[in-house]
Amino acid sequence: MQSHKLTLKQNSWMQALLMTLVVTSGLLLFAVFCFLIWFSLPVFFTETTSVFSLKWQPEQGHFGILAMVFGTLSLAFISTSVAFIIALGLNSFCLLSRRRWLVALLRSLLRFMAAIPTVVYGLAALFLLLPLLRNGLQLGSGYSLFAAVCMLILLILPVICVMLDNITTPLWQQYALGAQALGFSPEQTYMQVILPHCRVNIGGAALLGFNRAIGDTMLPLMLAGNATQLPSGVFDAIRSLTAHIALVIATDQGGEAYNSLFASGILLLMCSACICLLSRYLMGRHRLEQPE
Amino acid sequence: MSRLIGYWGRLCALFIISIMLILIGFILFKGLPTLELSLFFGDTAPLAAMMGLQPVWEGIWPACVGTLTVVLCAVSLASVPGIASGIWLASAPDKPAQKVFGLAVDILAGIPSILMGLFGFSLILLLRGSFFPQANASLLLASFCLALLILPYIACATQNALSSLPKQLSVTGAALGMTQWQVTYRLLLPQAKSGIMSGLMLAIGRAAEDTAVIMLTGAVANAGLPGGLLQRFEALPFTIFYYSAQYQSQQELNMAFGAALVLLILTSIIFALLAAIVRGRNRSKFGPVKSLIKERIC
Amino acid sequence: MMFKTCSVRLVAIFTLLVSSPLIADELSAFDKMNGQLNIAGGTAHIPVMKKAARQIMGHNPKIHITIAGGGSGVGVQQVAKGLVDIGNTGRALKNKEMNLGLNSFPFAIDGVAVIIHPQNPVDDLSQQQIIEIYQGKITNWRELGGQDRQIHLFSRDEASGTRSVFSKKLLKGAQLAANANIVPSNGAMKTAVSQDMGAIGYSSVGYIDNMVKAPRYNHIMPTQEACASGEYPVVRRLYMNTKGVPNALTQAFIDYIYSEQGAKHIQSSGYIALDAQP
Repeated sequence: MQSHKLTLKQNSWMQALLMTLVVTSGLLLFAVFCFLIWFSLPVFFTETTSVFSLKWQPEQGHFGILAMVFGTLSLAFISTSVAFIIALGLNSFCLLSRRRWLVALLRSLLRFMAAIPTVVYGLAALFLLLPLLRNGLQLGSGYSLFAAVCMLILLILPVICVMLDNITTPLWQQYALGAQALGFSPEQTYMQVILPHCRVNIGGAALLGFNRAIGDTMLPLMLAGNATQLPSGVFDAIRSLTAHIALVIATDQGGEAYNSLFASGILLLMCSACICLLSRYLMGRHRLEQPE
Repeated sequence: MSRLIGYWGRLCALFIISIMLILIGFILFKGLPTLELSLFFGDTAPLAAMMGLQPVWEGIWPACVGTLTVVLCAVSLASVPGIASGIWLASAPDKPAQKVFGLAVDILAGIPSILMGLFGFSLILLLRGSFFPQANASLLLASFCLALLILPYIACATQNALSSLPKQLSVTGAALGMTQWQVTYRLLLPQAKSGIMSGLMLAIGRAAEDTAVIMLTGAVANAGLPGGLLQRFEALPFTIFYYSAQYQSQQELNMAFGAALVLLILTSIIFALLAAIVRGRNRSKFGPVKSLIKERIC
Repeated sequence: MMFKTCSVRLVAIFTLLVSSPLIADELSAFDKMNGQLNIAGGTAHIPVMKKAARQIMGHNPKIHITIAGGGSGVGVQQVAKGLVDIGNTGRALKNKEMNLGLNSFPFAIDGVAVIIHPQNPVDDLSQQQIIEIYQGKITNWRELGGQDRQIHLFSRDEASGTRSVFSKKLLKGAQLAANANIVPSNGAMKTAVSQDMGAIGYSSVGYIDNMVKAPRYNHIMPTQEACASGEYPVVRRLYMNTKGVPNALTQAFIDYIYSEQGAKHIQSSGYIALDAQP
């Protein structure tokens, strides 16, 4: 299929207006990056390397954010792994099940889950999950890594599921009949034909879920207890980088705590940008598109 | 061995459906009994409160109005630049400038929302230090940061909608002697209308539910009706967060649940509109279905 | 019978007529004003501020008062930068904060007390015990004579004036254990402790009601009277701070807080009112 290179007549003032708007948006987006980098420069260029330590004790002068980095990463890794496995299960159900009405219901439910506000998840967990952990199972004060992970799984599940759906449905339409003719059962088709074919794209989908898990603020803030420690178990309280920024935004300018704020911000930005780039690379923008 | 995936799939489906039923059921159970006039207006007369004649205490009406105002401002700030960016990105997707811009938009679609709040916070600091000493946390700043947050969604949706149109449209337009702008405005945009509308709906939904950005740039727990662009305001998600963490009485807890139910209803309405638009588009389109999702649109 | 009810009604009407000018007097200072007043800072002050704002805004709807929390650190930071008109703190200003040109107006006496769940049988805690609990050395209520239950620590965020008073006067600078759950305000502390049988936290004495229980501190019951008389040692003042000389609306608000009506609001919120400093 040839690509058409059209050179149309330009309507100069409309184009100029369009370009102005685009350039403005571009500059503003660029400004977001610049601001965060500018304000976090003091972290790297002053004497204080104490931002990268494990202790956060402002009264004693320790401003280390590594415990929060660990909190964010553990939150994101655990929730993404579990959500990914569940998403694979849901995806196979959507493709394999004979009850199409249930599949349609499930698909609408997943898209609806993406529309539910995060604070509503947090509110429901505060009054359902936390009393269960605290009083029913006697597992600490309820505010824990576990509670935040449970709700984060529900939060990122729609993201991964819908992406998996978009990736595997066209493949299923292409290969299912042929595989069946070769003697594969539907489950075998899914596991041994479809999944290996698109494993790189699926990896990209999982990375997007990971990105969402790193970036969420409200669930860790409301449910994870905000303790500045390295968790020794899933039922310990942790603080994520995002919750740290939300809690510490109040302190004096130029102080160490303030630096930790922007250090957290730049770490989050770098992490998120890298994951986004990696995911884009893996998903390979038009690799699995159907022929027109 | 592969049979296990069948069982796992059924188990997951059952699990998710029951969990969501429990969650939504709980919110409805706790929220529905609170849905009465006193939830919105406290003990102020409804009509006086709605016209702004008397301030509302212990009611979520100011938060509702605040949320609607900030979403409206954010979408109006972001929609035109967003659509323009989408048009530009779709017009020549392989040029280097478009690629860099597309990359930036993509990265910004995925950043943690609190970083946008941090950006707003540092913006106030910069403005106060230089040429606008009156800068303050306000409705304007919060809408501006929210607009930056939702701009990528609108841009990506527009770009997707425009790129999935058949090339014959532009070719026919060129053959008829239309300029670039005429082709875009009169041929392409009307065809892509439903895609752009879905992008706008997604953006509205995102702006309504985001808490982290407004928390740092202007939402407070008590402010009454939004007094103006340069004043602080209340918002539903922040009210839910605030009262769920520190309710001092059953009435305040009821406010939290009532606000959660109202916000849920609001986002469900937006979701239903979005679903209707997508269904309408799928019916009229011939060709592969590309469903639009919330997070990954580019 | 009729005569009695008639006379009661007459007395009531008479008192209302006589006192309403008095009430109106304190609010009449706001008659010709309009504009916005932004208040932020200590969460202990919020009930008083809300009550005052309600009266003022009800009297003159052209005045718009917004109240935010955030802790004493937020109050100082925002008022020093001019982002708010009144920054509330629950602690005295530090030296470097005084150098920013802030004026302090103490308006109430309050204390900081340890709070536990109402059904927790422990009644008395010594200072040394509290220090060891918060350092993480004592981990079970059993060691204090209570039930066999893990102690769940709750503390405030770094911006909190309540935390700094607690840390300096009660803990004497001891290091807080890293596994303490952090909550962002007095209200949140009260809510968290009232839901968890093994919880221990600290809050403003004015916030204590039957949702939580305040054990005796070194055999002294933390009440407002004990704070006022000096018997309970962990006391603090609640301050309003402004940058430089306050403008007309801000000054009117400060005067209102110092007035009799303001004192009523302060007392009904559980604090002891102070008079204006000369």
